[in-house]
Amino acid sequence: MAINFILVVALLLAALWTVMTARLIRSAFGLALTSAVLAILLFRLDSPMAAVFELSVCAGLIPVIFVTTISLTHRLSQDAFQIRQKERWGKYWYLLVIVVLVGVLLSRRALLPDVPLPVVTHPTDVRIVMWNMHHVDLLGQVAVILAGVFGVVILFKEVKK
Amino acid sequence: MDNILLLPILVPAVSGILMLLIRKTRGIKEIATFFVATANLLIAVMLFRKELDFTLPWAGFGMEFSLRLYHFSSFILLATGFFGFLIALYCTTFMREKGALNQFYSYLLISIALVNGAVLSDNLVLMLFFWEGLLVTLFGMIFIGGKDSFRTATKAFIIVGISDLCMMVGIGITAHLAGTLTISKINLPVDALGSVAFVLLMIGAISKAGAMPFHSWIPDAAKDAPLPFMAFLPAALEKLLGIYFLARISLDMFKLDASSWLSPLLMIIGCITILLAVMMALIQKDYKKLLSYHAISQVGYMILGIGTCVPVGIVGGLFHMINHALYKCCLFLSGGSVEKQAGTTDLEKLGGLGIKMPVTFGCFIVAAASISGVPPFNGFFSKELIYDGALERGWIFYAMAVAGSFFTAASFLKLGHAAFLGKINDANKSVKEASWPMLIPMVMIASLCVLFGLYNALPLNNLIQPILGEHRLEGHNFSGMPTNAFLVIMTVLVLAAALLNHYLGFKKQGSGIKAVDHIHYAPVLHPIYDRAEKRFFDPFDIGMRVAGWAAKMIWYVDRVIDWLYDGFSVGMTYALSIGIRRAHTGNYSVYIIWSLVGLMVIIFLAVR
Amino acid sequence: MLPLFILVPLFCLILLNVPPKAIVKRPAFWLVAALPLVQVFLTAFHPVAVWDEIRNPFNSYFIFNLSVDALSTVLLLSIGIVVFIAALVGRYTLSGETQRFNFFNLLLVAFLGMNATVMVQDIFALYVFIEVTAVASFILIAMQKDKPALEGAFKYIILSVVATVLMLSSIALIVMAAGDTSFAAVSSAIRAYPASVLVKVAVNLFLCGLFIKAGIVPFHGWLPDAYSAAPSSVSVLLAGIITKVSGVYVLIRMVVTVFGIEQSPQAVLMFVGALSIVAGALAAIGQSDFKRMLAYSSVSQVGYIILGLGCGTPLALAGAVFHLFNHALFKTLLFVNAAAVQEKLGTVDMNKMSGLSVKMPVTGATSVVALLSTAGIPPLSGFWSKLIIAMALWQSGQYAYTIIAVLASVLTLAYFLSMQRRVFFGKLQEGLENLTEARLGLILPAIILAVVTVGVGLAFPIVLDKLILPVQNILK
Repeated sequence: MAINFILVVALLLAALWTVMTARLIRSAFGLALTSAVLAILLFRLDSPMAAVFELSVCAGLIPVIFVTTISLTHRLSQDAFQIRQKERWGKYWYLLVIVVLVGVLLSRRALLPDVPLPVVTHPTDVRIVMWNMHHVDLLGQVAVILAGVFGVVILFKEVKK
Repeated sequence: MDNILLLPILVPAVSGILMLLIRKTRGIKEIATFFVATANLLIAVMLFRKELDFTLPWAGFGMEFSLRLYHFSSFILLATGFFGFLIALYCTTFMREKGALNQFYSYLLISIALVNGAVLSDNLVLMLFFWEGLLVTLFGMIFIGGKDSFRTATKAFIIVGISDLCMMVGIGITAHLAGTLTISKINLPVDALGSVAFVLLMIGAISKAGAMPFHSWIPDAAKDAPLPFMAFLPAALEKLLGIYFLARISLDMFKLDASSWLSPLLMIIGCITILLAVMMALIQKDYKKLLSYHAISQVGYMILGIGTCVPVGIVGGLFHMINHALYKCCLFLSGGSVEKQAGTTDLEKLGGLGIKMPVTFGCFIVAAASISGVPPFNGFFSKELIYDGALERGWIFYAMAVAGSFFTAASFLKLGHAAFLGKINDANKSVKEASWPMLIPMVMIASLCVLFGLYNALPLNNLIQPILGEHRLEGHNFSGMPTNAFLVIMTVLVLAAALLNHYLGFKKQGSGIKAVDHIHYAPVLHPIYDRAEKRFFDPFDIGMRVAGWAAKMIWYVDRVIDWLYDGFSVGMTYALSIGIRRAHTGNYSVYIIWSLVGLMVIIFLAVR
Repeated sequence: MLPLFILVPLFCLILLNVPPKAIVKRPAFWLVAALPLVQVFLTAFHPVAVWDEIRNPFNSYFIFNLSVDALSTVLLLSIGIVVFIAALVGRYTLSGETQRFNFFNLLLVAFLGMNATVMVQDIFALYVFIEVTAVASFILIAMQKDKPALEGAFKYIILSVVATVLMLSSIALIVMAAGDTSFAAVSSAIRAYPASVLVKVAVNLFLCGLFIKAGIVPFHGWLPDAYSAAPSSVSVLLAGIITKVSGVYVLIRMVVTVFGIEQSPQAVLMFVGALSIVAGALAAIGQSDFKRMLAYSSVSQVGYIILGLGCGTPLALAGAVFHLFNHALFKTLLFVNAAAVQEKLGTVDMNKMSGLSVKMPVTGATSVVALLSTAGIPPLSGFWSKLIIAMALWQSGQYAYTIIAVLASVLTLAYFLSMQRRVFFGKLQEGLENLTEARLGLILPAIILAVVTVGVGLAFPIVLDKLILPVQNILK
């Protein structure tokens, strides 16, 4: 339990750093770190599938894309960075307050144990529930993918020219 | 269910609206109006003495479109049709050179439709609808009279409107007490609330009929409005309608009897109206204005008659209603002929027209004799019946009624003398008799005056007495010669006194128009008359004066309220608006914060 | 039969993109305009309930599990109307064949997304199709790629992501309690544990997500930017139907069918509803941007719907749905007017226009119809729905909210009249002497909508009887 608590605090700190830092590259690393901590947390809470996804995609793939993109930009000068950093704290100091408030609020009430979890009637896991029983969602997925393609075509194609 | 009952409402109403569309073509409007009025008369004749019912669901809550035809309403329907027909005929020549003709004819026809509707309605709300509609045509008809008529029109609108408002409240109370809006089903006792309802309804009825103190627009309108309007609405239709409704409320809708305090109230209103209005009539120097005061005064007789609550008085009052409509209409029409031919109605400029316009003069004599109660014309018989009823209730009422009769006779002697006899004015040397479409209505009405007098059994047995019904008449029959010799002798004496008075006055002053000046300038009366002429006693003007003071007071209160509306609330709104606009900085993180704060509050409230 | 509402647009979408662009570019409009018209016809003149019984030929391969009730019917009808109008407006306002073609494609995606949203019977599927609609709208807003458009789209995405997170977390919690995501299972699970904190948190998380989607104060920050930055045709679509389906409809569906009226935080719904009404109206007063003012007006009008929903009586619900339908009509009409003005003047700044109705009589007149309907002036359609909502509120004893609702109507009238005075009435702005009425393609939708608005107002007993009052049945 104590380990989980420490992990949650670490998660929050990493997330805060991600948001508050003025350098993009640090922000990207912060995101990776956050995802990594989250993955560990998920492992500890017996959700290995989710943990693997989190680790590979959110901690692995996405930061790589970010870093690649950021490397194409100009780096902020040290002075500008200092100023931005100050501005950022001035602007978003309340994030810290909110994080603490939410923590206090959630810790006051234990969410979980007041509902008897239903007995799973057939031995299926989430994958089966999500794919085999929701055919109509497939149409939705197709549509989302199509919309995404349109988005890329419309918003980014002409930029190349 | 007889939709034929819709005809007397729809035919004039639709053609009246269509009339507005005809703009330029001369002649068509007159002829079309005449035909519609004729058709309306024929419909009324056809419906006469039938008993029909017609009901359509209308607004719900007991407000049904229900019409009921029975002897009383078919009688009023017939009378309306008759007068409408005559006025339409009269107008074909009279109105020729006036303006706003299409409006006038439209209002004329719509008025007929509305009166028909109000008379036929068997539902209070439906009747109120038609009743109020008449207010609009009244306003319109006065309004098109000329440049200055707007003030008069407004005055009429306000006075009649206020009394209609009373009536509306009365209808509300009546409906509450009776539990129904159907007129023929209402039969209420005059207890505390019942008498309040009665008084309110009565105010509506007598103000439509033009009794005091709701009269003051009529003399003004006489000056401003087109003359056929005067002959048609205030002299004929509104009297018919007002007295019809008064009779309905006192005979059917409320169990009014002689013991109730409402009966003396009605009689007092009647007597005061008779006397005061006739005193004003006496001193008028204008043909139309003089007549208009008589139109008020005579209502007093009807109210007095109905207010006596004894059969003879009620029969007299209702008989007087139709008689009055006849002779007053005839008198106004004769005034119209004089105005048309001589170009003025100012008595100072008239005189000696009797030779030039013999037919008009003849009709005038008949009608004037009727209104003064000279035997054997119709007015004599109805007045005798009213006297009989009044005497039964108290000599004071009788005395006031007879005094009214004296002044009526005196003022008509003066009017006839000034207009038709005496030396002819130079300007009127070339005056000719009016054309036949104007004469026919007058002659017809005058002969009816004679007929209803000599053969009074015809109207009384067929039209008036069935209204009361056998159980109220108690076997009496009031037709034929008056039975009370004392009354007849008194009447003859009073008429003789009026004649003597006129003769003496004429001798003293040397002209017909000044024959009553000794009354006008009598020691006590003179200052009162002066003030009355200056509208000092006009309830409308008094009301307006009070309203003026009140308005000044309210004006200051209003500034504060205004500020609350215009200053404070608008200012607040804009301040809030600017505040909200400033809050929308366009920064998405701010918006996210708002959402998250909202979320937290909601979750906190939920799990609290 | 029901899956066809999703499958046909999807099929058309593929059909438009497989052949060479040159061939399909022109007929694309006709296809996209015809589909919603057919839908309007089907929903308005055919009893939808019958379709459920027609056998689905794909039944053996796919289980779609769709269903249509009275509420969905009203929404299907509204979707049909607004998408048709948006297609017309898009054809006549967007420049360039390619941009139009892209617009029509995305319109189809949004169309099928919305159709599916109102028919699915499963909260996860609901979420998926809300996202389909949302993704299509992001791209639609950003389509012109100028700075305000990108900014508006960005704010929409960010706030939508928050909404998505809230809804997904809620679904996760619900699955934990119910073991399934179908409406029936979720509903029975929620009713089984009325006191559970978990369930309450789940319900409120979902509600807050939907508040963001529907643009309810204080969750509305994205809405004015998105509406005003988007191209006219997209504004029509967004304001008229997208937020109404993905926010308001889902809210009604969740509260009524899934959570159950008695389990929902009625006080919260009514409070945010009233807050939206007032704050939206007040914010609208201060705007000088035509479209932005309409956007705040949208916030205010959605407030009425939520207020009616929060009241929870059958009559209030019927009023809310009726107002939803009416809002789709008159707000679409107003945005069409805005499109016409923007098309002719090149600006939506109200300070730069005045006296336009001399030169643009149809636009001026139809906007008067729309604003009177919005402000609830009889006998236009908006009056009846507001009347029903106010009556229902009064009946259930919510006097304070009734008064707020009625007074805010006055505010609505105030900002619309001031808009009218500034934009359409008064003296013609100098330099606009050569202004002409917008072209037929923009006038036509305005006229159609104005006629429908007046028609629904006049024939309101029929509309109420056939279309709206059956909605009460979904409470049972």
